[in-house]
Order: sequence, then C-alpha cells, then structure tokens
Amino acid sequence: MSYKCSRCKRDVTLDEYGGVRCPYCGHRVLLKERGGDVKEVDVN
Amino acid sequence: MSDADFDVQYIERDDRSARVLIRGLTPAFANGIRRAMIADVPTFSIDTVRFVENSSVMFDEMIGLRLGLVPLTTPLDEFEVGDEVTLALDVEGPATAYSGDIETSEPMVEPADDNVPIIELKEGQRIELEADAVLDTGKEHAKHQGGVSVGYRHLQHVTVDGDRGEFDEDETNVLRGVIETEDGDIVPTAAFDHDLSEKYPGKELTVEDVPGAFVFHIETDGSLSVEELLLRAIDTIEERADELHTKVSV
Amino acid sequence: MELRVIEKTEEELRLEIAGEDHTFMNVLKGALLETDDVAAATYDVNPEQSGGQTDPILTVKTESGDPLDAVGTATEAINEKTTALADAVKAA
Repeated sequence: MSYKCSRCKRDVTLDEYGGVRCPYCGHRVLLKERGGDVKEVDVN
Repeated sequence: MSDADFDVQYIERDDRSARVLIRGLTPAFANGIRRAMIADVPTFSIDTVRFVENSSVMFDEMIGLRLGLVPLTTPLDEFEVGDEVTLALDVEGPATAYSGDIETSEPMVEPADDNVPIIELKEGQRIELEADAVLDTGKEHAKHQGGVSVGYRHLQHVTVDGDRGEFDEDETNVLRGVIETEDGDIVPTAAFDHDLSEKYPGKELTVEDVPGAFVFHIETDGSLSVEELLLRAIDTIEERADELHTKVSV
Repeated sequence: MELRVIEKTEEELRLEIAGEDHTFMNVLKGALLETDDVAAATYDVNPEQSGGQTDPILTVKTESGDPLDAVGTATEAINEKTTALADAVKAA
C-alpha cells in the first residue's frame, strides 16, 4: 500500500506500529495513490 | 408491388450529408429505410478500455464514455458485427488529448475526426490506455449509430392557380423542405428563405404532397459516407426479407 | 430472426417473429397488403395482456391459399424493391 504525504509530497509506506503519520515530517494527512494495475472499464 | 420503379436524385451532396429525393416509395418502406439508417447499420465504437495510467481529473469511466462517442471510420466490406479493433492513447500534460492522438492497429479503422477533445491535461497529468472498438448497431447502443439526423419529408408540388386580388395583402407562406414547381424544377425552400410569397409574389398557390416522393436528409457522423449508409440500410431490410423467405419456404 | 407459429389454419396465420421491430414489420405488412389474395395483414409488437411480450406477432388472413405462401410472395416483393432501389441509388 503506498501513500503520499499531503504536506511534504514524499512517498510513505505505512507499517503496523507507526500509526497514520508521515515519518519524514510528522504530518498526519496521507493521500492514497492509484495502484499500478491496469484497470479495465466497460463503456456503456 | 411489382412496379419497382424508383427514381433517385441527389439535391445536395456532400461526403457526410446529403439531401436525396426518392420517388416510388411507400411510406412504410421510406420509414423502414430511415429507421434502418439510424439503428441497423453498424459502426465501430470503443467498447472496452484498459487504463494503464490516468492521473487526469476525470474518472476512468468518464473518459471511457467520451472515447466511446468518438466516431471511427468503418469499412463494412472488411468487417462483420462483433469484430474488434485495438486502439491506444498516450498523452502527457500540459496538453489536450484529442481524438487525433488515438493510435490504431488497423489503419482502416481510425477516428473520423481528429479534433474531438477528450480531456485537457495539466502539468504532470497523463493518460495512457488501450481500447477495443467493436462493430455493432445503433440498436445495441447509440454510440454505434452511423446516421445522425436522418429524416424525410414529402416532396411538395406547388401549383400557381392565378393572381391574388390586387388589394389583397401578400401573406407569408412558410414551407420547409423541397418543392417541385410546375416546370418540374426541384427547389430547396432555403433558396427563397422558406417563404413561397418570395418566390411567387402576388400569386394564388396550391401546395400538395407528391405521392410516393420522399426527400431524405441524411447526415452521418463520418463513420460511413452517405451513400454507404443508405445502401447498407436498404441491404439490412433485404437481408431480413431473404431470411424470412428462406424460413417460411421450408 | 426466430419464428414461432402461434396459430395456423387454411387461411389464417399468426406468427411470432422474434428480434424484429417496426423497421421490418411495417415494411412486411405493407408488402403483404399489396400481395394478391391477402385479405388482411397486420402486426402487433405488444399484444394486449401479453405480460411483457415485445416480439412482434404477424397476423395474415388470405382470401384463398396458404398464408405462409403469401408471406413468401411478400418477402420476394420486398427483395425486388430493395434490389431495384439499391440499383437506383448507385446509379444516381
């Protein structure tokens, strides 16, 4: 699961113990990034 | 029915739009052709999209919908309903992704216009996708309609009965479509601002529908030419008649 | 185009033509009415109390002769017309 810190824009990986917090700047708002999978969409 | 005596005359003719006068049609047949042009002549349209990247401001589904509405050229001699063609789009902002940016694996099937905007991308936004276009009919989904704005009107015959009374007011006589004059000339009403009193000032007129004469206005989205659309529509009716014929004669 | 005969007598036929709509049915009806020995021809895409039936049902009555033959003759007439019209369009 990859996130991005909304303040310092760095990539953040969450672990079990760290809680929701950026390890670089301490900001608590993280944005979830879009996964790298190819997404198939039916047009209708 | 055996008096299969048709007369076809193009009044206006362009690649994508035309006005065609057909004489000798029954109303049922005229309507059958009109409906077939709209719903039964198949065209290619994007039906499945695989998004590799979409960092634009719109959801995948919204872009998919827009892609589906892009008209694709459809050589019907080469394909049949259900056939698929793969296309791709890869645009990085700052730029606007246009239909012309769509790459095709099959040169016969490509966007009919290259200036249809799909989405505006800002700095750092990117869209990369692969799409499958499928050949199907307008009956299945409106995005497959080849004919846009297809309709007909009766040809109207104008007879001059005589002069209007000297002190009568010249009334406007608005008419839309195409008229046939007493000399047999075919004149679109646009030529006289749709007002018969402009063409026949001070005349007493009778206007009546010409039986069996229909003026079709046919406009396509660029997937097919007007003639192709009309011929294919006639074909679909013929195919159905033939199919029924074989089935009832067994 | 799936056919299902609902009723068939010497001079009357009720036939369900699945998958068709007004586009073809009205042309067919028009052709039948111009066919010799056809007394009546009509179709209904949503018969009363049909419980959602939407496939058209063609009804043909003849003055004499098999109504199935009348349908055969009518479809031939349609083919004649479409062929002639297609030729006229190509020539224009």
